[in-house]
Amino acid sequence: MNKVLQGKAWTFGDNINTDLMYPHACYTLPEEERPRHTMWANRPGWAGQVNSGDILVAGKNFGVGSSRPAASNLKGLGISVVVAESVNGLFLRNSVNVGLPVVSCPGVSGIVREGDTVTVSMDTGKLVNETSGKATEFKPLPGFLMDIIEAGGIIEVLRKNGQIDSNPL
Amino acid sequence: MESALRNEWYCVPWKVLLLNIVEKIFQDHSENPVQRVEPGDIVNVKVDKVIMLDIAGLHPELLNNPPKKPFDRDKIAMIFDHFVPAPNVEVASGVSKLRKLAKRWDIGNFFDYGRGGISHTFAAERGWFLPGRIVANTDSHSIAAGAYNMLSRGLGTPELMQVICTGKTWYIVGETIKVNLTGKLTGAAEAKDIFLRMAGDMGDIPNTNIEFGGTGIASLSVDQRAVITTMCAELSADFAVFPHDSVLESYLDGRAEAPYRPVTADKDETYTLTSEFDMSEIRPMVAMPDHVAGNTRPAADIHGSRIDQATIGSCANGRLDDLASAARILKGRKVAKDVRLIVTPATQSIYLKADELGYLRIIAEAGGVVTNPTCGACMGGHMGLLGEGDVAITSTTRNFKGRMGSRDARIYMASSATVAASAVNGYITDPGDILGVNSGE
Repeated sequence: MNKVLQGKAWTFGDNINTDLMYPHACYTLPEEERPRHTMWANRPGWAGQVNSGDILVAGKNFGVGSSRPAASNLKGLGISVVVAESVNGLFLRNSVNVGLPVVSCPGVSGIVREGDTVTVSMDTGKLVNETSGKATEFKPLPGFLMDIIEAGGIIEVLRKNGQIDSNPL
Repeated sequence: MESALRNEWYCVPWKVLLLNIVEKIFQDHSENPVQRVEPGDIVNVKVDKVIMLDIAGLHPELLNNPPKKPFDRDKIAMIFDHFVPAPNVEVASGVSKLRKLAKRWDIGNFFDYGRGGISHTFAAERGWFLPGRIVANTDSHSIAAGAYNMLSRGLGTPELMQVICTGKTWYIVGETIKVNLTGKLTGAAEAKDIFLRMAGDMGDIPNTNIEFGGTGIASLSVDQRAVITTMCAELSADFAVFPHDSVLESYLDGRAEAPYRPVTADKDETYTLTSEFDMSEIRPMVAMPDHVAGNTRPAADIHGSRIDQATIGSCANGRLDDLASAARILKGRKVAKDVRLIVTPATQSIYLKADELGYLRIIAEAGGVVTNPTCGACMGGHMGLLGEGDVAITSTTRNFKGRMGSRDARIYMASSATVAASAVNGYITDPGDILGVNSGE
């Protein structure tokens, strides 16, 4: 994984919950169709506009809610990293476990506007808004979590360790 | 994974270390012996039990790559709760595969339709939730287990697969807030209202734990405590724990599946913050639509808002107390003509007890629908979804836009008493008005 991520920012407000990211209908849809329903209730049509490598910038309490695979939908759309004022702990786990980096960066929503080009350095904890020139810092994810992300998620770790059965149920 | 333990203590010679309940349980379960557990550390812990749900049957990553061998078959339970009974072919096919998996792994603790209930409410009833334990479960409301002086929290299905393979998981140690509850509930206020008041005053607290205490907690039953801890997931708390006391001891008496050791915080433990709530001042509360933290108001303030549907149920509020409360309000009354009332008990044993006590009949006679135990409409699965333009009041766990069906529906969240009172009047109502306990105020 590239540890310096650059992309176009999409901005969201506070309390973006898992049910907005992974609407109920996703549970029973074929896996590849699920991401296109992301933010169906709060921002219909958004999922279709996301390009691979885009960055999601959000307010506080991002990812509050259930253990549903909300991060998989963001990853499926091509989002490369989520940067939020604060992040729910369950969302953080799920995100790391599917290989999507997510960081808490207090103040980020004040310096990034939608459409700005943003560079996020996962190792150094630097975020630069290339459009405005403004910059800020965040606490990098612990190495333990970065290892899981770099492996491509926890299932890839299990596969490497020979702990999963390749015969489907 | 072995490198996970980042407790970088070196030579701390016999320093007196003060730990709170969460930290002590982490320390006790740490894979490697640790002398200190501090906020910011990542601890690798061994789990005492793992609970897998029917919803895993909708996760292709599990169905296509099941764990080869569980770390200990006796520590794994499978409980079907979210979609009971299967509302469509996709769910039916997914759970059939899980039944195969239960056979392959020879899981003794397997609870299919009609045998269990909502996983963590049921696990508590079975005496699996004991002081000091750590239980892994994918349900995001697993935080409920803190009412039993233990730890559990939501995990994703891929992570549950890892726990099933290894018997271990990791936690980032968060700061802990102390919430002291004083006084006792009066009038028509219920445990849910204590939480809603906390949620309004405290707002969201990601990556933080709550330890409850105070002179008032002795007045709360274990079920009431579990309503509060369950709902703390909505504040983004990691863990929410109660201390062990005589109330919990009597609850566990004759129920505990094994001996246990209560966990107490060190007396001098200091918390990041201490808040206090006088329960005698708490009135029925309502969470306004779309989010919970920082978004609650007294029911009396929005008295009169019209509703189309009223829902009572979920892991938080599908308890016997909730059905009793609904029955008390509905007895001799009818659900308003334009309102649908749907009541979903949390577990099979609650359903049976409510039947024995006549609650189910009272609800049905009032024009309510009583469903089988399941998560049901709470997570938008089935059993009473909302349509376009619907306004609902629910005693379930979340009021998120689109959660219970249409994205154009509006969801208010309250106690079961407030939901039942609102169902009778057809608009949001402080239950004290119907019960006649608000006079003189």
